[in-house]
Amino acid sequence: MDRTGSGLMSFIRSAVREITLNLHFRPGARLITLLMVALAFVVFNTFLIISWNLQSIMDREENLVGMEVFLQRDISPGEGRVVGDLISSLPGIKSVYYVSPQEAEALFRAELPGRTDLLDVMGSDFRLPASLQIAFETEAMSQERMSELSRTIGAIEGVKDAVYGENYLPGLIKTVITIRRLVILLGIVLVSSISLVVFYTVRLSVVRRSLTVNIMRTVGAPWWFIRVPFVVEGVFMGMTGSACGLALTAVLSEVLSGAVTHRFMPLSWMTLVILLGAVTGTVGALAGSYEKER
Amino acid sequence: MLVTMSGVRLSYGRWPALDKIDMEITRGEFLVISGASGAGKTTLLRLIWMGDKPDSGFVEVGGFRSDRIRRRELPQLRRKIGIVFQDFRLLHTRTVFDNVALPLQVSGTRNRTVQKRVISLLARMGLSHRRNSFPHELSGGEQQRVAIARAMVAHPVLLLADEPTGNLDPEVSREVVELLLEINRGGTTVVMATHDPRQVPAGKGRFLFLDRGVLRGADRWTELDQDS
Ligand SMILES: Nc1ncnc2c1ncn2[C@@H]1O[C@H](COP(=O)(O)OP(=O)(O)OP(=O)(O)O)[C@@H](O)[C@H]1O
Ligand SMILES: [Mg+2]
Repeated sequence: MDRTGSGLMSFIRSAVREITLNLHFRPGARLITLLMVALAFVVFNTFLIISWNLQSIMDREENLVGMEVFLQRDISPGEGRVVGDLISSLPGIKSVYYVSPQEAEALFRAELPGRTDLLDVMGSDFRLPASLQIAFETEAMSQERMSELSRTIGAIEGVKDAVYGENYLPGLIKTVITIRRLVILLGIVLVSSISLVVFYTVRLSVVRRSLTVNIMRTVGAPWWFIRVPFVVEGVFMGMTGSACGLALTAVLSEVLSGAVTHRFMPLSWMTLVILLGAVTGTVGALAGSYEKER
Repeated sequence: MLVTMSGVRLSYGRWPALDKIDMEITRGEFLVISGASGAGKTTLLRLIWMGDKPDSGFVEVGGFRSDRIRRRELPQLRRKIGIVFQDFRLLHTRTVFDNVALPLQVSGTRNRTVQKRVISLLARMGLSHRRNSFPHELSGGEQQRVAIARAMVAHPVLLLADEPTGNLDPEVSREVVELLLEINRGGTTVVMATHDPRQVPAGKGRFLFLDRGVLRGADRWTELDQDS
C-alpha cells in the first residue's frame, strides 16, 4: 500500500470534515435528543435550586444558634476583647463579636421600643453589661459540645454568665442534619439518573448511525477517526442540552419568583451542571461508538 | 500466499457457522465461494477482513494473523482489502464522490491525490456524470459500481465481494461480474461469495462450495452445471 501523499494535516482536515458532516446529519433527531437532555436537566436544576435555597435557610437558622456570653460589669472594653480572643481560640468557635454597653443599649432600644422607660428609670449612670456574641462551627453544634463549651467559657475570668438555647438546640440540630442527609442522598440519586438519561440518549443517537461506523471500519478508518466525531457530538449535545436546561429553568424560576421568593443557583453550580452534561454526553457517545466498533 | 485459513471454526451459539476450514488463496486468483443461504459465506469473508475472529484455528491475511493482530493494526489490514456488499452500504448522506473518496480520507491521503484518483476512477467506471449525485438517486447497478469504486480506490491487494449481484437483475449482474473479472485481470485478488456460481463463467476462476459451514472443494460446480 502506498504511503505517498499521506500526512497528518490531511488526516486532521478529513477528521474535521467528518465532524461537520456528522453534525449536519439528521437535525430533527438531534433536536429531540437535545430536548430530552434539556428536560432531564430542568428536573435536576429544580432540585439544585431548592437545595440551594434550603441551604441558605439552614445557614441562617444555624447562625441563630449562638451563645451569649455576659461579661462582668467592671470589665473594660480592652479586657473584654481579650476574653473574646481567648474564646475564639477554642475549637469549634466560628466567630466572636464584642457588644459594647452602648451597642447593647442601642439594641435594647431597637428591639424593645416599648420598654425604653426601663432604661430611663435606671438613670444616666446605668450601663447594660458588655457581652460577646458567639457563633459555632457546624461540627460543634451538639448538645454535649455546647454544654462543655459553655462550662469552659463560664470559667474564664471576667465572664459572668454563658447562655444558649438549651431547649430547642438538639431538635434543630437533628432536623438540620436529617435534611442535609436527605438532600445529599437525593442529589446522588438525581446525578446518577441524569447521567444515565444523558448517557443513554446520546448513546442511542450514536448507535442509530451504526451503519456509518460499520462502513468506517471496513474501509480501514483508525479508531480515533471513527470516534472523534462522536465525542464532539457528545460534548456538543451534553453542553447545549444542559445549557438549554439551565435556560428553561431560569425562565421557570423567573415566572415563579412572584409566588415563591427564592434565589437562582450560583454561577459555580451552573458551571458544574454544564460540565456534568458535557462529561456524560461524551461518555455516552464513546460507549455508543465503542459498541459498534471492533 | 495471500490468505491462509487453518483449522478454522466459528460458532454463533450452539452450531458452528464454519468448521474445519483449511484453505489458501493465492495472489491474483479469482475465487468463487458458493453455497446455500446460511452456509457461512458471509462469515468466511468476515473472517478474512477480521470483522470476527475464529474460535479456534487462525486466519492469516497479508502477514497479519488473526490470533496475533492488535486492534490498532486492524485499520492497516483493512486498507489492503476492498469490500463490496450485497446491500451496497453507501453513506446515503454523502455524494458519490465522497463515498468513493472515503477510504482515502480515513487514511490521511492528501486532498489533491484524493481528487485525482477519485475523478479518474469514476471516469473509468463510467460514473463521472454521477459524481455529485446521492446514492438514492442512482439505480441499483450504479450504486453497486460506486461501492466497487470505493472498494478499489485505495488500490487494495484483495477485493471481497459478498453476493455483489444479490440485489441486481441478470443483465446488470453480468456487468458487475464482468467488472470484477476485469479488476482481477488488473492484478487484484478477488473473492466473490454467491449462492449462484453460474454467474461466473467456468474456467474464469476457482470454485469452492460451502455446505453448512464446511468446504467441499470444486466438484459441486460440475454437479450444479449438470442440474441446470
Ligand atoms: N451475527 C450472527 N449471530 C448469530 N448467528 C449468525 C450471525 N451471523 C451469521 N450467523 C449464522 O451463521 C450461519 C452462517 O451465516 P452466513 O451469514 O455466513 O451465511 P451466508 O452463507 O452468507 O448466507 P446468505 O446467503 O443468506 O447470505 C447462519 O446459520 C447464520 O444464522
Ligand atoms: Mg451472506
